[in-house]
Amino acid sequence: MKSKRLLGCSFPVLIILTFIIFGLIILGLLAGPIGKSFGVSLPSWMTLHEPEIKLPAEVVFHIFGFPVTNTLLGTWLTIVVLVLLCWGATRKCKLIPGKLQNVIEYILEYLYNFCKNVAGEKYGRMFFPLVATIFLMVITNAWLSLLPIFGPIMVHTHEGEVHLLRGANTDINMPLAMALVSFFTVEIFGLKTHGIKYLSKFINVGPLYTSLKQISRGKIKSGFSGLITGFINLFVGAIEAISEFARIISLTLRLFGNMTAGEILLLIITFLVPFIVVDVFYVLELLIGFVQAFIFSGLTLVFLTMAVVSHDSEHN
Amino acid sequence: MTPETLKMLAIGLAAGLGMLGPGIGIGLIGYSAMQALGRNPEARGSILTNMMIAIGLAEALGIYVLIVAILLVFVV
Repeated sequence: MKSKRLLGCSFPVLIILTFIIFGLIILGLLAGPIGKSFGVSLPSWMTLHEPEIKLPAEVVFHIFGFPVTNTLLGTWLTIVVLVLLCWGATRKCKLIPGKLQNVIEYILEYLYNFCKNVAGEKYGRMFFPLVATIFLMVITNAWLSLLPIFGPIMVHTHEGEVHLLRGANTDINMPLAMALVSFFTVEIFGLKTHGIKYLSKFINVGPLYTSLKQISRGKIKSGFSGLITGFINLFVGAIEAISEFARIISLTLRLFGNMTAGEILLLIITFLVPFIVVDVFYVLELLIGFVQAFIFSGLTLVFLTMAVVSHDSEHN
Repeated sequence: MTPETLKMLAIGLAAGLGMLGPGIGIGLIGYSAMQALGRNPEARGSILTNMMIAIGLAEALGIYVLIVAILLVFVV
């Protein structure tokens, strides 16, 4: 008779595991600052000192006068991991793919279908490299920063003890660089597709000009209403230009804020209850990393699509 | 009231009141997504995708508030 199994373990094993986890959580509550305020003091290898949260990235060493921060080392690690993954997947390309090639093909095909669904057949192909690069970069940065090597390795510099590696998205320069690249690509695609008329979306003098011509020809009534519409169009165009520039700030701050808040959350939860509770927040961090990568690349794709769409259907 | 007290009040109020808007916003997005899912369970993939995008955009406003609070704690 098969013994009843729940979650892969038999019943007594499950009860023992639950008690162990419960006991570790209680021990963690006592070992953290909550227990310290009750006067319980446990041996020093179980307690943690308060985490220092430093927002700007710390410099680890200098190469020829160029400061190398720990987030830059994190970026280099991401690049090495991505290049090794893709090289390993395409070394012996088969028609029926092996395991690693299958995974990479699945990821790339998912992103390609996403681009084609949003931007159409022809433009999806053109936008796919940028969108896929942004997605893979953000998600690999976010997920690699959860590995155990990113916390404990400390290095002595002249400023004190400094972490050797830090997640690259917690430095504001990385999201800012990606947002600037995305912004310039959107503008260049718009200019390439529409010519100089793309700028007429922002400096909308067309209706104003035609209304002035109408007044000069003598049609006063329609000229005046056209004049008012012309000024309103000018105003709306200026607001659109401002919102284009505000996209840079919003993309940067969204990614930077989410990643930094996640890092600070993990540090503080580990400080409060040192043992098991952090694992729940790790799941949250994995989900947030994926969602933020998806949103950054998805928003870039949507802005690119809006820039190249032809406005012919609006004029009648 | 000392400046220290006012600074702590400012941090608490900024973070607390600022999260009202995004919280309500995300709740409304979830509500409409659940309604749409109930009416048309087949379109689950596209509803989920668009809901994720909308939630990410709404949550960004809450993150701006968090950044203001962190700035107040560490810089001011």
